[in-house]
Amino acid sequence: MAPNPAADCSKQVLLRLDAVGKAFGALTVLDGINLAMKAGEVVAIIGPSGSGKSTLLRCINQIEPPTSGRVEVGGVTIEVGRKEPSRKELMQIRRSVGMVFQSFNLFPHLTVLRNVSLAQERVMKRSRAAADAVSMQLLSRVGLAEKANQYPSRCSGGQQQRIAIARALALEPQLMLFDEPTSALDPELGLEVLAVMRELAEGGMTMIIVTHEMHFAENVSDRVIVMADGRVVEEGPSRQLMRSPQTDRAARFLKAVKDR
Amino acid sequence: MIGAFFTTIAQGIPWTIALTVSAFATGALLGLPLCMMLMSPARPLRWLARLLVLTLRSVPPIVWLFFIFFGIGSGLLEISPFQAAWIGLGLITAANMAEIYRGAFAAIHPGQREAAIALGLPGRYRFMDVVAPQLLRIALPSCGTYAIGLLKDTAISSTIGVNEIAFEAYHLSQRTFHSLDVFAVAGLLYVLISLPMAWIAHWADRSMRRRLAR
Amino acid sequence: MSDLLDFWGEWLPSLLDGLAISVKVTGACLLLGLPFGLLLALGMQSKGAALRLLALAVIETGRGAPVLIMLQFTYFGLPTAGISLSSFGAATLALAWNTGAYTSEIIRAGLEAVPQGQREAAAAIGLTGWDSLRYVILPQGLRVSVPALLGFAIATLQTTSLCFSIALPELVSRAYIVGSNTFQYMPILLLTALLYAAICLPATVVVSALERHLGRHAA
Repeated sequence: MAPNPAADCSKQVLLRLDAVGKAFGALTVLDGINLAMKAGEVVAIIGPSGSGKSTLLRCINQIEPPTSGRVEVGGVTIEVGRKEPSRKELMQIRRSVGMVFQSFNLFPHLTVLRNVSLAQERVMKRSRAAADAVSMQLLSRVGLAEKANQYPSRCSGGQQQRIAIARALALEPQLMLFDEPTSALDPELGLEVLAVMRELAEGGMTMIIVTHEMHFAENVSDRVIVMADGRVVEEGPSRQLMRSPQTDRAARFLKAVKDR
Repeated sequence: MIGAFFTTIAQGIPWTIALTVSAFATGALLGLPLCMMLMSPARPLRWLARLLVLTLRSVPPIVWLFFIFFGIGSGLLEISPFQAAWIGLGLITAANMAEIYRGAFAAIHPGQREAAIALGLPGRYRFMDVVAPQLLRIALPSCGTYAIGLLKDTAISSTIGVNEIAFEAYHLSQRTFHSLDVFAVAGLLYVLISLPMAWIAHWADRSMRRRLAR
Repeated sequence: MSDLLDFWGEWLPSLLDGLAISVKVTGACLLLGLPFGLLLALGMQSKGAALRLLALAVIETGRGAPVLIMLQFTYFGLPTAGISLSSFGAATLALAWNTGAYTSEIIRAGLEAVPQGQREAAAAIGLTGWDSLRYVILPQGLRVSVPALLGFAIATLQTTSLCFSIALPELVSRAYIVGSNTFQYMPILLLTALLYAAICLPATVVVSALERHLGRHAA
């Protein structure tokens, strides 16, 4: 698509959530979430445990289908109540949305290189050679080219997470979801991962990051969303919100975090 | 003389091994669809599978073998002793393998499936590339242990006339006054055959731990 | 259908007599075999290498040979060495050996599951080795083993079916006699299978439930 110089304020909307909700029987985990994201935006989602942050991410790429509302992402619109999304639509979503998990979830029986190449071959139908070339590029980018032929078990947590990021990037997604990427890591190892994420953000990737890393949220993201009890409690530009939250609930949470 | 006993009894070895291998192979294969049924979202299928597995494991192998050989075999069909033993032990193996597979499925971290879904891998590749390889590696040690048990269970088939090791031992013991030695040799033979099996299972267990260590 | 029920009705008493013997043998061999298994498990943990080796030898032979061979060994084999046993006695002996060998492994796993910290705590409060075993380790270790031991007991009842080969008049041998006399193998074997299933199936379900119940508080 040719760039349109006059359309700076109308950057492509990559994600739109309308009144998205998720209930497990009588238990409501998400309630009426509205969100719109433009290309290149970095959004951090913070909040206490159990506030539905992870569930929200999983509703976006439909690992957990929402029980109400509408999700528009990757050129596909999924509205609960209308017809079920087709397999093709789901695949399209997953190709345009990449996800990085708290527990890395690398495939232990495959080498690092194979981990990054597998989806390229099966989903993008690249040849093995082409996929491996791209994988090596990505692994270099996250600083782990030398680990290509080793197994995940021989890599530290921080290395595994960086490989997981490379694996998600291999499908050339438009949007990257990070579900507490550093929560399972030592502070030191977490820094390596945050550095990679920062670089991605500065390179213009659209990202949603669920995190407890407050410094990162304040300094790297454009917007911060505070969630509690399944709802959005407050939303605003990161620095502003983190320094002076407007709502009570958000203020309480940020204070508790600072006091630790 | 012990040497002579050994050679006589050893004639049964091919049958013992043939029965062990065929029953195990059949059971390992049949155990897969049975396991799928056990884990199916459809309740009636699940309950049926559970009933099948429980029944196969709640009735002694010798009763199954008699049932197939004397019961079905005498009237409806012509079944040789080996075939009856193969079918009986194969079905029991299938029930046990289904349980082993089910345990192995449960041992795979749920995140593996989620990561595969998030990458957009379609169902068949999720199974082939991510789940099945891990399943095999996790199930292998239990399968090895079970196979050794199966080796010993094949002795039961001597009661319906398969001329494997136990059969040869029994008939030899009837002909000599040295039954003690005969059965000791037979027992030793089973132990000897189980040694390479145990070694393979142990090696598989070790290499599995290495690969899947977190 | 009513023919079948009549047939069953006619032979059920005989089968039940056989089942009674199966149960008796199971009880006898568990009575002997479980303490034997405990002894072997403790033997495997002993400091003396000779004792450990002896325990290992008994366990490996008890587990390595098929039960059928062990039964025939004790019933047909021992007489040639001067020890004559009744079929009940031979069955009990052979099965107790087998039971001891398998349960020693189950008990050993249970004892190992007790956290090392328990031993250290017991020593720290001054309990002797024997007392700490008796009051701290064994109670916890045995509790872990209970479901597996129960499962083994159920399997033992099934194993007694092999005693048919040493002339013990238990359930399967009764069934076989009826079958060979009437040539109605299917019905009588069906009844036999039902009798075993009637005991073992519910027992297995209960043991599984027990295992889940006990696992509630697992560390």
